[in-house]
Amino acid sequence: MDMAVAPERLELAEAVRDYLAGTHGAEVLRRLDAGPNRDPAIWQGLVEMGLTGLLVPEAHGGLGMGLLDAALIARECGRVCLAEPLVESAFVATPWLIAQGQTDNLAAVVAGEHRPVAAHTVNGWVADGEGEPLASIDPLRRLAALPEEASDDSLLLDLGALMSAAQLVGLAEAMLDQAVDYAKIRTQFGQPVGAFQAIKHKLADVAVALEFARPVLWRAAQALDDRAASASLHVSHAKVVATDAAYLSAESAIQVHGAMGYTYEVDLHFWMKRAWAFGGAWGARAFHLARIATAVIGGAHPIGPENTFA
Amino acid sequence: MRLTYTETQQAFRAEVREWLAAHVPPAPLLTLECEEGYHQHVGWERQLASGNWGMVTWPESYGGRGLDLIEWLIFEEEYWGSGAPLRVNQNGIFLLGPTIMEYGTPEQKARFLPPMAAGEVIWAQAWSEPGAGSDMAAIKTTAYRDGDHYVINGQKTWSSRASFADWGFGLFRTEEGSQRHKGLSFILFDLDTPGITRRPIRQLHGHPGFAELFFDDVRVPVENRLAGEGEGWNVAMATAGFERGLMLRSPGRFQATARRLVELFRQHESAAVPSAREAVIRAWMDTQAYAYNTYAVAAKIMAGGKIGAEASLNKIFWSELDRAMHRTAMQLLGAAAELRHLGDGTINDWLEGYMFSLSGPIYAGSNEIQRNITAERLLGLPRVGAG
Repeated sequence: MDMAVAPERLELAEAVRDYLAGTHGAEVLRRLDAGPNRDPAIWQGLVEMGLTGLLVPEAHGGLGMGLLDAALIARECGRVCLAEPLVESAFVATPWLIAQGQTDNLAAVVAGEHRPVAAHTVNGWVADGEGEPLASIDPLRRLAALPEEASDDSLLLDLGALMSAAQLVGLAEAMLDQAVDYAKIRTQFGQPVGAFQAIKHKLADVAVALEFARPVLWRAAQALDDRAASASLHVSHAKVVATDAAYLSAESAIQVHGAMGYTYEVDLHFWMKRAWAFGGAWGARAFHLARIATAVIGGAHPIGPENTFA
Repeated sequence: MRLTYTETQQAFRAEVREWLAAHVPPAPLLTLECEEGYHQHVGWERQLASGNWGMVTWPESYGGRGLDLIEWLIFEEEYWGSGAPLRVNQNGIFLLGPTIMEYGTPEQKARFLPPMAAGEVIWAQAWSEPGAGSDMAAIKTTAYRDGDHYVINGQKTWSSRASFADWGFGLFRTEEGSQRHKGLSFILFDLDTPGITRRPIRQLHGHPGFAELFFDDVRVPVENRLAGEGEGWNVAMATAGFERGLMLRSPGRFQATARRLVELFRQHESAAVPSAREAVIRAWMDTQAYAYNTYAVAAKIMAGGKIGAEASLNKIFWSELDRAMHRTAMQLLGAAAELRHLGDGTINDWLEGYMFSLSGPIYAGSNEIQRNITAERLLGLPRVGAG
């Protein structure tokens, strides 16, 4: 039994974090917002880091890594509010296709030339797909009407929910950081507003929510990677707590920013809108709470102290 | 990350389960906050010790089994899953014990740890004073040197277990004229030392779960001081870390409550408000999250890491989830919530538990203080006011 995330896994995620921090700041979001929303140069950078092949077996030219590695990196994508469809393509659609035995086109996937799209009936749309466009409040989302051939497969749904949860955690962390940074520099009554307990306690609550969302996420990622019988339950758990943490972080951050937070000029809104999007995507709270209720209250899943890792 | 137990760990779990099944009292003990119940619980501590289960992580020479933190968590899971009694010696084994392990001399370890693991000496804590609650650095009780003794004068309060316990530990001002965190020392004392007066205080439930302690020229040998003179604050912070962080509230206790809450919900589902359903789901989610986090912290410590200010996040989380679970149960019980005994004559544990849960956000440093620590030390927000 080992709940620690191994240091070498963290190193890879930190390398991705450093790369994204250096190349994908808020100014990039503003540039994409003013233009076509997508940038082949950013995509190419992700391809060159090997991320499109992260979950592709080494025999097919990928890195052959697991869903925990992918979740750690999806969190980093959330942290920078990445616009490119890396997570849904490489960490949701690609492992699902591999699980279906569809491995013909993997070389093109690894090379970033073919981007599989994840279309599931639980969503009323498909992200970065073809078809009738739908407007999202998130200016960098590119949604299209759900294609007729959309799947209702449970593994695809679990992958989508897990990776949404991972991005939500990263988004929530970034919004907390933005609020903390602002609370340090904004002065009122002769001191930084972050010195007031009303602000401190609000942000401390976000820190608590995140501290106890992260291990749920890692545990769910490992369970799904193991294809554990209870994996769906743990994915639902992760999706609910990540959604709640992200909403709490977003609402706390806008409040700490005051009227500035309500403007398009402050960066916060990009992250906040993405959180709303992922909160509803791949099964909203009601869907995942119902799955948990079936298992926990319905009695299908053993609970109690002896069953921590059931 | 590996989410399965080794064969050794599984065998250990089976051994714990078997022993507990054979020894846990079939009927619940009286509350440990009353005198008769206290002595019943001391008896249980000694029975645990007879099976060598007092504190499994301690070295065998101190009455333990030399096991690691994962095995401790397995023990705790089985312990709480079996419905075993509360640990009357929790101040000793979970707070003072680890502190002695870190700061004690070899002589102190040999003197204090074995009787602690054996349940022979039950410990009370003595932190707060009438003027030093959340602001613990305002401690005024003095312990000035007189030869090879300290002479203690002053008053401690809210001293858990002190109505009946054998020994106490706390912070005292050993340097005359010292201020705040400086000049404090961590001292252990026999509660029957001449000059100590205990005044039990009735708690919400009516029993004397804590006491005031009055010190009137109480002479305590210098060798009862833990770590250096004037270093008490840092030692106390380590104890507080054990209290808020890993040890005092292991996840199994809350997971057992969550399981009982699910049972209660099933019985009352037809009359429950819709929000109760989500509250019950949340009980499972939060207790599981707490368990995962504890396993992660255990892994970190086993790899040589330490618990820092994140212990404050922990304390906020477990104390508020415990209160929320019991509040939900009170609401599910409806008109029966106020009854001290349920229809079958058993004690209304939800009511007792709800009262106890109200103390969680207050003791071990109020949650307001924990939120300040979180904001200042983890998030880096500026400090004001309290120095």
